[in-house]
Amino acid sequence: MNYLELLRALLPETALVVGALLALTFDLSFGVRQSRETRLHAAVIIGTLAVVAAMFGALSAGVADAVFGGVLVLDELTLASRLGVLMLAWLTLTLTGGTARLRHPAEFVAIVLFATAGFTLMAAAQQLLVAFLALELASLSLYILAGFDKSRPESAEAALKYFLFGGMSAAFLLFGFSLIYGLTGSIELPQIAHQLARQGQSPLLSLALVMVLVAFGFKAAAAPFHLWAPDVYEGAPVVSSALIASASKLAGFTLFVRLLWPGFGPAAGSVATAAGSPGWLPLVACLSAASLLLGNFAALAQSNVRRLLAYSAIAHAGVMLLGVIVAGDAGLGPLFYYVFTYGLATIGAFAVIAVVERAGCCQKITDLAGLHRRSPLLAGCFAVYLLSLAGIPPLAGFFGKFTVFAAALNLGGLAGPAGWLALLAIALSAVALYYYLVMLKQALVVAPADPASAPVPVPADAAIVLVFTALLLVLLGLFPSVVLRIF
Amino acid sequence: MTPATLNDYVLISAVLFAIGFFGVLLRRNTLVIFMSLELMLVASTLALVAFSRFNGTMDGNVFVFFILTVAAAEVAVGLAIIVALFRKRHTVQVDELNTLKN
Repeated sequence: MNYLELLRALLPETALVVGALLALTFDLSFGVRQSRETRLHAAVIIGTLAVVAAMFGALSAGVADAVFGGVLVLDELTLASRLGVLMLAWLTLTLTGGTARLRHPAEFVAIVLFATAGFTLMAAAQQLLVAFLALELASLSLYILAGFDKSRPESAEAALKYFLFGGMSAAFLLFGFSLIYGLTGSIELPQIAHQLARQGQSPLLSLALVMVLVAFGFKAAAAPFHLWAPDVYEGAPVVSSALIASASKLAGFTLFVRLLWPGFGPAAGSVATAAGSPGWLPLVACLSAASLLLGNFAALAQSNVRRLLAYSAIAHAGVMLLGVIVAGDAGLGPLFYYVFTYGLATIGAFAVIAVVERAGCCQKITDLAGLHRRSPLLAGCFAVYLLSLAGIPPLAGFFGKFTVFAAALNLGGLAGPAGWLALLAIALSAVALYYYLVMLKQALVVAPADPASAPVPVPADAAIVLVFTALLLVLLGLFPSVVLRIF
Repeated sequence: MTPATLNDYVLISAVLFAIGFFGVLLRRNTLVIFMSLELMLVASTLALVAFSRFNGTMDGNVFVFFILTVAAAEVAVGLAIIVALFRKRHTVQVDELNTLKN
């Protein structure tokens, strides 16, 4: 037990928490006499500095096998996931500075930073207690962010729904953890894996795995645990939705893939052949198939932009779960690349919605009509994000899908559920392309509903987010090995 | 009377968990749903303490202290959300919260 070592490993979290407290203190002491605009920008600058400091902290923490007796692990996945989450949090903060109209700007920034601290801790947790605490720190912050806009009843309703589903999934996770602890006598993942390999399957273990997977399904917004996602994406403030849809997803997948493969790997079972063998892999395959089908077909019926993005997120969760299935065989590269580039594209799409909403209304898909005349920059970037989500080469979304499907087909060809899922996902990509193109048609082809509609002004901060994400999506699509060779 | 065994404790915690779960699913008042959620957390707490006692390790007991803290934080956030909602909608019944629907 070495506390200095622990402190070095937790540098990013320390930087984020100190930044959050500084933002609050600054606002309380100097902000009272300032305008709301100035307070927001001061808080965003402090928050950005904290995130940058956390990035340096994550880099300087380096790679170590087990920290503080195995409580945390600093491997390549931790480093990549921390940097990815911090980058997505930075984009969210910058977007907040550009577009948000908040009555309590410093509190908002502080809670974003607390949530980010939860995400980075989720990326490093290697013990059930730390995993649970990190998950709760992130979740509780996200509930507050979802309900932050007290002037709109939809925001509070979204927060309540998110909170109730989230609280239930946390209880399931906890009960699953307690059963795992009872079965193996340990809360540390390496010991749990060691014990599970000796014990083999038992009914109690199956129950524990189902409970953990319920919580995973909630965090990933996978069907049938997706019910919160459309309401939260629609009702929450745009910036909060962006964070919930991107960074929270990346951190959640990192946490659960670490729980499932290094922790519960001996109970994985198999989906490579048609007969398979019992374990959690067949369950994850079922979640993946349900999400793919429900997400893609329900998205066709949506007329609200944010609900459509939510259902497309459910469909993407299906592909990500396929990435979890192949992670045991092909490594974490495909999954991480897919989730990270998905997060970038989603945050970009929400940035477009935020900017359009700032200039007026952006609820229905038809509200995007004539975006190419009202703001060519917005329309161009929107096209990049949606085409990346749809998986059109050479954008990053295409390569993400390609690596995941290739790994799934490598697992056992078409002999087993993994291969069938890949085929299903490829077929449903055509459905997905349809609803993305419906949105793009409104943005790029249709003339504005009102010919005299004013151009949409793009604030400088939001323009940075838009251009940065669009560029990154193109560059990562052209040079995917930059991310893939980390693993 | 024979002393309670590990199975008894796990059974009770499973029953508590199930009561909480059905409470969340079936009740219509947000506050009662909220209490049921807490019951689910308490059920896991009981299981953890029992396992800790019968495994002979302290990890489960330490876990419980953190769960209590997290549950308190969760109550604070949850009640704040309910208050914010009540101010806007003047109801705590979940059936009436349906503005967000397609």
